[in-house]
Order: sequence, then structure tokens, then C-alpha cells
Amino acid sequence: MFKELDPILHSQLRLAVISLLISVKEAEFTFLKEKTNATAGNLSVQINKLKEAGYIEVIKQFSNNYPQTICKITKNGVDAFELYVKALQTYMNPHGEG
Amino acid sequence: MEQPFTEQESIKLINEMIGKVKRSYVEKGIASIVWGVLIMICSMLTWARLQFNFNIGFDIWLLVFFAVIPQIYFSAKERKQKKFVAHDDHTMTFVWTAFGICIFIATFYGSKYGNGEMSTIFMMLYGIPTFITGGIFKFKPMIVGGLICWVLSIISLYTSAANDMLLMAACGLFAWLLPGIILWAKYQKQKMAHV
Repeated sequence: MFKELDPILHSQLRLAVISLLISVKEAEFTFLKEKTNATAGNLSVQINKLKEAGYIEVIKQFSNNYPQTICKITKNGVDAFELYVKALQTYMNPHGEG
Repeated sequence: MEQPFTEQESIKLINEMIGKVKRSYVEKGIASIVWGVLIMICSMLTWARLQFNFNIGFDIWLLVFFAVIPQIYFSAKERKQKKFVAHDDHTMTFVWTAFGICIFIATFYGSKYGNGEMSTIFMMLYGIPTFITGGIFKFKPMIVGGLICWVLSIISLYTSAANDMLLMAACGLFAWLLPGIILWAKYQKQKMAHV
């Protein structure tokens, strides 16, 4: 039986961002931009969607007089990512074998 | 407009991103090399001093404390330049801070009650953060380095205070200098691959 995939995560850029954030404690916006090769505008929009869903926390601060945006995955984000990966497994292995 | 993508592409993307983060972990090994060389120099000089009975006019181990200052500066600078914080960074800070505090207390204890057999304690302490760091990062040279420190610490129970210094120098070599050189070589190789 196929499980429904979370529409928030089943989007290339948002999934890329969550996959990066699950691997670190926190990351700067510039790090996410560099690793996803996304434009700043598009990345901002997708980060906002993840934030609105409660999957990530966004901290805006100043570092050496420059604005800095830090992103951090939340507990909800970790749970959603785990559920998403479990749901993906049902597509790879629909009969629950293995 | 978002492009639709398949479940297979999702898995590929997740793996790709996790792989990108893994490749971002860059450890140059400089701190490890500096500490290894420093411990070796101090130990060898102390051994020579005890063996040939000469005085250099100051306590050579003070170099270790002076080296802490640039070490803190460069660590802070490196941290500022880093665009992400890894899960293990926090753990490492606590492990090495705990080590620093223990070394300080042991030094203080040694100066109060005599340094005679303190090298056994120091070598035992050297092994702790080295072994933990190696284990967390699955870096075998440091795991082995930590174990060597403990073996040498036991051996030092049966050797003279002067020869303990040679064992201490071996700790510096196996726990920090050699693993540091391996990290440095890996970093250079990684850098060349990106040119």
C-alpha cells in the first residue's frame, strides 16, 4: 500500500533544504544556497513555506555588521522527514518485503 | 511553478544532499599537528634536561599554555567562517574543554605535590579526548593514538621520570602529530580534487 507523500516535503528545493538541515545542527542561508544551487529569491520562498509548516526555525541576526540568516530543523521537521522517508520506502517496496 | 519529480528522484536528492554535507566537513589537522609537535618538543627537552643535567632558565611546559591563546583565536576565526554547525561540534567543544580543565587541575596538583609521577596521569588524560574524537569521527588513527597513550601510561609506571618524557613524546607523535599529518594530507587531496 502506498503512503501519501507530505506535499510540503515532496518538492525538489524544499526536500533538498530539509535533507541538508537534517544533517547539521544549523546552517546559514548562504550554505543552503550554495549546496542547492537555487536562486536567493526562490530559496527564500521555499524556506518560508517550511517555516510556516513548522518544519524549520529561521533566525535572523547580525554578524560583523552583516545580516545573517540561520536555519535550523525543528522536532516537527525531523518527524515529518522521517515519515516522508518511510512513505517513500512503500513506493520502493510496495509489498512490504525485506 | 514547481517541477513534479518521482519517488526515485526524491531518494537520489536526499542522498545527494547528505553527501554534500559530508564533503563539507573539512578538518585541516593543523591544531592536531601543533599540539603534537609542542608536546614532543617539551617532552624531549625535559628528557634532555633530566638526562644531561642542564637548565634552560624557564619551564618549557609554559609553552603549552602560551599555545592555547593562538589556538583559541584560530578556532574562533575558523568557526566564524564556517557556514554551518555540525551536530558533533558541540560535543567536541565540551570534550576538549573538559580535557583542558583536567590538564590544568593535574598541572596544579603536580606543582603542589611534586611532578615525579604525574606523566602517567597526563598520558592517561591525553588518551581520553583523542580516543573519543577518533570514535565519534570514525577516524582510526586517533582511536589507535588514544589507545597508545593508555598503553604508554601503564608502561610509565615502570620507567624512570626521565624516560617517562620519551613516552610522553611518543604520545604526542601517535595521538596528535601523525593523525594531524594524515588529516592535512586528506585535506590537500580534497582541495586538489576541487581545483
